[in-house]
Amino acid sequence: MPILSAQGLKKYYGEEPNIVRALDGVDLEVEAGEFVTVVGASGSGKSTLLHMLGGLDKPTEGKVTVDGHELDKMSDEELTIFRRRNVGFVFQSFNLVPILSVYENIVLPIELDGNRPDKAFIDEIIDLLGLKEKRNSLPNMLSGGQQQRVAIARALATKPSILLADEPTGNLDTKTSQDVLGVLKMTSAKFHQTIVMITHNEHIAQLSDRIVRIEDGKIVGEGRGINEK
Amino acid sequence: MALIVISVVSVLLCGLTALLCYLYVKRTYDAIDMVFDSMMAGKYDNLSETAKESRLSKLTHKAVRILKTSTMDIEKTRQEKEIIQRYISDMAHQMKTPLSSIAMYTDLLLEGNITEIERQEFLSRIKTGTEKLQWMMDCLVKISRLEAGVIELNPVPAKIKKTISDSINTVYMEASRKNISVKTAEFEDISLLHDRKWTSEAITNILDNAIKYSPPDSEIYISVETLPVYTKIIITDNGIGIYPDELNSIFKRFYRGRNAKDTDGVGLGLYLANLILQKQGGYIYADSRPGQYTTFSIFLQNCKK
Repeated sequence: MPILSAQGLKKYYGEEPNIVRALDGVDLEVEAGEFVTVVGASGSGKSTLLHMLGGLDKPTEGKVTVDGHELDKMSDEELTIFRRRNVGFVFQSFNLVPILSVYENIVLPIELDGNRPDKAFIDEIIDLLGLKEKRNSLPNMLSGGQQQRVAIARALATKPSILLADEPTGNLDTKTSQDVLGVLKMTSAKFHQTIVMITHNEHIAQLSDRIVRIEDGKIVGEGRGINEK
Repeated sequence: MALIVISVVSVLLCGLTALLCYLYVKRTYDAIDMVFDSMMAGKYDNLSETAKESRLSKLTHKAVRILKTSTMDIEKTRQEKEIIQRYISDMAHQMKTPLSSIAMYTDLLLEGNITEIERQEFLSRIKTGTEKLQWMMDCLVKISRLEAGVIELNPVPAKIKKTISDSINTVYMEASRKNISVKTAEFEDISLLHDRKWTSEAITNILDNAIKYSPPDSEIYISVETLPVYTKIIITDNGIGIYPDELNSIFKRFYRGRNAKDTDGVGLGLYLANLILQKQGGYIYADSRPGQYTTFSIFLQNCKK
């Protein structure tokens, strides 16, 4: 059973005749532990798709199921809690809280849910992502690549069912991108973490298990990544 | 009088509290019981309790997680079984060609009635076939041991220069036979987290390929570049190259590129290289332009600070 599935997903803005079809009937299934990239030009609808998959926005038509839960059947409050526990987000902008240390930023979503962080696990992530030295630093002391690694650590901290990444390397230079991507790949393998990543960069897409191409709100093709079985 | 009233009231209050506690506990247990019932019935997908701000909701969420993890493990085992079946049939297919050519040339030799030149030719074809089978067997043994976890890679901080030079030494003969020079750019010898023996094997496989698919008298270029988390080892050749749509497939087991058909090979070298890197938290990717160049970038983790 796929951990994430979208069926007949449509998102329209405005009305005829000026209607914008951001998503026009997308079907997608992602298996547990898979690392999938969605590739498309800007305006192709890929970010809209990611927002629907993560329950950040509601589709005009169609349904999204995450880990067996239909997102459209949830109330706004349920959805907020569901997202907090099951979906990890990484965006192009790192969105770190400037007055909290690296560690505090990472455990923030766990504490928001009223839970105590599993210290050993958090330290494992921090170590794995090469942030040990920066554990107590504030975000403004970090480079872009380091900040994005903190954002990835934060997304992983709750052990989410799916991790959604929207152009995670969009603000980084080529070399730092390769670095951050390696980290994503490593966590995907180590924690059997399901990842859906949006990018316009083919080279970056290559490193995933599966590549899905999107154009004008429709999926136009699929390709294999390096590790596809 | 007042004392009696107070006592009666407090007794009543105590009784009420006890009753409320009882009801609360009963309700909680009933709710947990119901959650368990639906789980046993396999209907835990739409448990309404999983997305509310309550203790029970958090517990349910965790219980569902535990169940899901075990279901996932079962699914994974099933998939692995499928992979193994496909693996065996691929293997049998790959062994057929060299085996049948060995059989054919052996028959021809046994029949006799051939010239000395023909005899030499047949013997050398048999030798090529056995070598191919030998290489395949070696690879398969390594792959199966790595995949089954019989061999555990041991990534420890070790200097990278020695690892790279070990690989260059291994392919030196092959390279000089085609007059190909393997050049390395100057770089600082740093410690990286890697298993030297296996990493060297991965690099050797990539160099082997580079030599195999490069024209005589060409150059293979190695450089090293350190990023914050990883260090990148870049190997570039000026060989036949790989088509863009095949760049990811080349790491698959038994896959051979479209323009590699004329060169001998079984399609295990890159698969093994990728496996070795993955097993130690590294990764690999390829970039190429057919007829111009191929670049393999190997990423190994820097030592943790």
